[in-house]
Amino acid sequence: MKRLLRSKTVMLVYVSAVVVAVFFIMNHNYLSGDNIRGIMNNMSLSGTLGVGMAFLLMGGGIDLAAGAEGCFGAVLVALLMKTGMPWPVAMLLGLMYGAAAGALNAFLINGLNFMGFIATIAMSSVYNGFALVLTNNQNVAISNQAFWRVGSYALFGVFPMAFVILIGLIAVYGFILAKTRFGRCILLCGGNRMAARLAGVSPKKVTTILYMNCGALATLAGSVLAARMHNASPTAVATGALDAITAAVLGGVSFMGGGGSIGGLLIGLILLNTFNNGLIVVQLPSYWQIVSQGALLIIALCVDFFNERAKALALKSSSAKRAV
Amino acid sequence: MERCLEFKGIEKAFPGVRALQDINFRVKGGRVLALLGENGAGKSTLLKIMSGDLRADAGTITLNGREMNFSSPNDAIRAGISVIYQERQLVPAMSVAENIFPGIPPRGALGLVAGKQLKRQAQELIDKFGLSIDPAAPVGTLSVAYQQMVEIMKAYRRDSDVIAFDEPTAPLTDAEIAILFDLIRRLKEAGKIILYVSHRLSEIFQVTDEIVVLKDGRLVAEMKTSETGEQELIRAMVGRDIGDTYAGLNRNDKIGEVLLEVSHLETDVLRDVSFTLRRGEIVGFAGLVGAGRTEVARAIFGADPVSSGEIKIEGKPVRFKTPKDAIDAGVALCPEDRKEQGLVLFRSVRDNVTMPILAKVKRGLFLDNHAEDEITIDAVKRYAIKTPTVDKIVMELSGGNQQKVILGRWTSSKMTTKILILDEPTKGIDVGTKAEVYQMVCDFAGQGIGVIFISSELTEVVNISDTIVVMHGGRVTGQMTRQEATEEKVLALAMLD
Amino acid sequence: MESAKGFKKFFNEKMVTLLVLLVIVVAAFTVLSKNGSYLHPANIRNIFSLMVVTSLLTLAVGCLMISGNIDLSTGANGTLCGILFALLLQGGVAWPVALIATLLIGMAIGAFNATLVNIVGFQPFIATMAVASVAKGLTYVANNAVAVPVKDPVITWIGTERFFNNLLPVTLIIAIVAFVFYTVLMGATEFGRSVYLIGGNREAARLSGIHPVKISYILFINSGMLSALAGILLAARLKSGTVTGVVNMQFSGMTAAMLGGVSFGGGSGGFGGVFIGMLIINGFNNGLTVLGVSSYWQTVASGVLLLFALTVDYLNMKRRGKRVSKRG
Repeated sequence: MKRLLRSKTVMLVYVSAVVVAVFFIMNHNYLSGDNIRGIMNNMSLSGTLGVGMAFLLMGGGIDLAAGAEGCFGAVLVALLMKTGMPWPVAMLLGLMYGAAAGALNAFLINGLNFMGFIATIAMSSVYNGFALVLTNNQNVAISNQAFWRVGSYALFGVFPMAFVILIGLIAVYGFILAKTRFGRCILLCGGNRMAARLAGVSPKKVTTILYMNCGALATLAGSVLAARMHNASPTAVATGALDAITAAVLGGVSFMGGGGSIGGLLIGLILLNTFNNGLIVVQLPSYWQIVSQGALLIIALCVDFFNERAKALALKSSSAKRAV
Repeated sequence: MERCLEFKGIEKAFPGVRALQDINFRVKGGRVLALLGENGAGKSTLLKIMSGDLRADAGTITLNGREMNFSSPNDAIRAGISVIYQERQLVPAMSVAENIFPGIPPRGALGLVAGKQLKRQAQELIDKFGLSIDPAAPVGTLSVAYQQMVEIMKAYRRDSDVIAFDEPTAPLTDAEIAILFDLIRRLKEAGKIILYVSHRLSEIFQVTDEIVVLKDGRLVAEMKTSETGEQELIRAMVGRDIGDTYAGLNRNDKIGEVLLEVSHLETDVLRDVSFTLRRGEIVGFAGLVGAGRTEVARAIFGADPVSSGEIKIEGKPVRFKTPKDAIDAGVALCPEDRKEQGLVLFRSVRDNVTMPILAKVKRGLFLDNHAEDEITIDAVKRYAIKTPTVDKIVMELSGGNQQKVILGRWTSSKMTTKILILDEPTKGIDVGTKAEVYQMVCDFAGQGIGVIFISSELTEVVNISDTIVVMHGGRVTGQMTRQEATEEKVLALAMLD
Repeated sequence: MESAKGFKKFFNEKMVTLLVLLVIVVAAFTVLSKNGSYLHPANIRNIFSLMVVTSLLTLAVGCLMISGNIDLSTGANGTLCGILFALLLQGGVAWPVALIATLLIGMAIGAFNATLVNIVGFQPFIATMAVASVAKGLTYVANNAVAVPVKDPVITWIGTERFFNNLLPVTLIIAIVAFVFYTVLMGATEFGRSVYLIGGNREAARLSGIHPVKISYILFINSGMLSALAGILLAARLKSGTVTGVVNMQFSGMTAAMLGGVSFGGGSGGFGGVFIGMLIINGFNNGLTVLGVSSYWQTVASGVLLLFALTVDYLNMKRRGKRVSKRG
């Protein structure tokens, strides 16, 4: 299966290359420095959310409120800075809120046994509403210039800060997943809850941490966007959850939990964002992006499904051989 | 210090059944003890109590002189007891090494998992067992046998004192079984206490040192493997307690023409299954769990796909694509698992009885509630179903009454059932109701219905059926009439390798 | 005697709870609103004219939920159909043709959902969510996010005409007819019973000769059709097909169904309770508007209300001892 996974990753790289080539032929500006920076920025947004979501999916959870949590978090951070609070403190409080929001989701799901997707849909409405209430549906301007730098700083004058953060996250989370005990526990919980419990791992505890992590990363994503825009919008990343799920599943994170890698997520992100950006570069109305978001998710799920089935068939045929 | 596991006065009761009564025995380290018994004799219950899955009502388990008191499987594992179940406790997407050290891998610097160290330690373990497995390979890519080896290594690595195997050889080939036995011998040499649950007598003579036989929740025999033989074991398992339940049955003796003819039926589980069923005949299917009896029923009923072979009903070849087709042709199935496959637990008795005949109880476009009530009341009276009204939710009835609701469903006046398949109809039912069910089965035959009676209780199959078909590993291994059949014969065929 | 039994069945414990809840909602808003303007005929008319869309979406998702499924694309589907309907009319297509064509589009989307769920084997909520995203995108693409006016006299008459002293909108009549139809369909026919049986235990139903896949297709297609109809009626009432359309009302539909006793586990709940659940939701939402609560708070409230409905469902489940699966 490792080979299968690897080959799937390789296939995704090919697909991404084809996507890039096609759009480049259609419009040479596609590979201009500005546009690539644009792709990086967008990728950072869905990627920061995506890391949290991918971990959650691997552990057998889901958070459809991630986007709304991120919007509300960004608004919260912006409002705190308005009171003159230094940005690191505001940021820290924002991340704490994000973790608390995740903990609440975890309570609804682990404590009250609500179904994850419906509970988080409800919470998404709650946070969305709160963000609108707090801002009266106006963007909250940010005047803290130090905070602007978080958005505008470019490493080596090339890589936007948001992208650097994403790469940092991918490195750290990739390490956690591959090298730490906790990483093991995540896959164990998502793959076989019973086995996890028998191995002395508490699935409830693990998923609670993953929900909190997802909420905090959503806030981070929203805040970095706000720093780049110099204002926090109550609706900017509202559909972020779906994007994040699409990227994760595209990159081979199993929707049923228990499988996936950070490398896959990265490729999923590249594919999703090069494609979406390409639609703009070839001057299709931006609305087509919404269509493509859903269509890509359906395709990603189909791939996931056929993969699982091929695996099941392979196992079945090998066991049939044994029976003969 | 030598290891020692001791069971003292273990008792366990489930509603309506005394699953275990006064179980006493002990095993020493370096010995392999076989737990033997028919289906339902209490072996699994005992294993579950030992592994902390269930709590005993009375009695104690002591390991190395210390009394064990488990409130969860986790406690048992910590205390050094590992049970290797048939359902794997593995994560297919994770590597062999990661599965051997789930959650608690060896610590490297800074408390991190040292990938290389993990792999090395796994490799050491694999070498120790003399296996050829790549520690980095995902478990999902291994064969069932090697997955089992991974489970064993997992248990070994935990440094368990006790390792119990629940039917370990069921999915294995001969070559793989040889590897497994070799492993068990190594564990034995390492001084572990090993419990071995199996139906296969030949294996028991190969690997075990001592044998404990359970029957109906009691320990009926305890012996050394070297001092006993197959015949003696079978006799101990069967016991001699057939009451006169069967003598009083009002049987049908008018067996008519051939109703169902199955020839060379194959599915992904079944191999070359053939038999015939006549009008008014009861054909019993005996065999161990997993022998393929349920699969025969489901294949005939159109619930599972058939890959080859022929099914004829009243001489006409049929091939049902869905259960609906089978029902329309007069075939009915009472599935083994009442709650999962038979009943809609949260609906009323009436809704459950009229499920297959909804199209026949309509007045114009609408369901005729009066007709439904009448049909249901008729079934309630006929089978003496204990329910205050037909609107009662099925979940609130007892197991026996639930079974009667399903029987009522297939034998109502609107049904034209010709072939009735009963899969374990007496499972989880108290003794009194069992006798009622037996009489019902005979009555169905008396009405000219052909009955297929699947049961894991030997006594029952042998005494109810007119013809007994014995299955093993998806094949028919024998067929005999009631007059020819003895429990010993059937059991020998069912365990045949 | 029969009717007495039916009466008793209708007014069981749950029903009484719901009615009490409805009375509390109405009483609270009447007291809170200025001069009791909440119960003013003009406002009641408002509640009624808004109700049709929610009703249709509630019925759509309610039937699916009883069968143990879910459709999160009703809002997006309805909105897309609303704007397509308006575009067809604008393009000079006769209204009956446009109506049928649009309903067929809605049904096709439903059939697509059913295929993803039954044939490809997706979890229903993620499959329908993805389809919703596609439909939403197409809604924007259809006319570049610009609203399309609806001028057809027959359609605007259906959307806005009121009988009886301006009290009874045509759309409400449609809603009531639909409710009665589905109550009878689900409560008294072979089809309805089959839906409950599948929701209660899919495998047992299959082994008793019911076709779960066929029924699931019918329900998804039905859901698509009702969503399309909801979108069309909203366009008719607003005299324009918009890109926001019925999106937000999908939420109310789901909440109403749950509040009325339709459980996510499937197999239970009747449309009598759902009707009251819907009255409560509509009464509540309208009450907030009457009190001048900002629409933003209403968004919060709708989430909280759904959580409330989930809690009610949870308590019901707990009483029934049914285990709920975690995610799907």
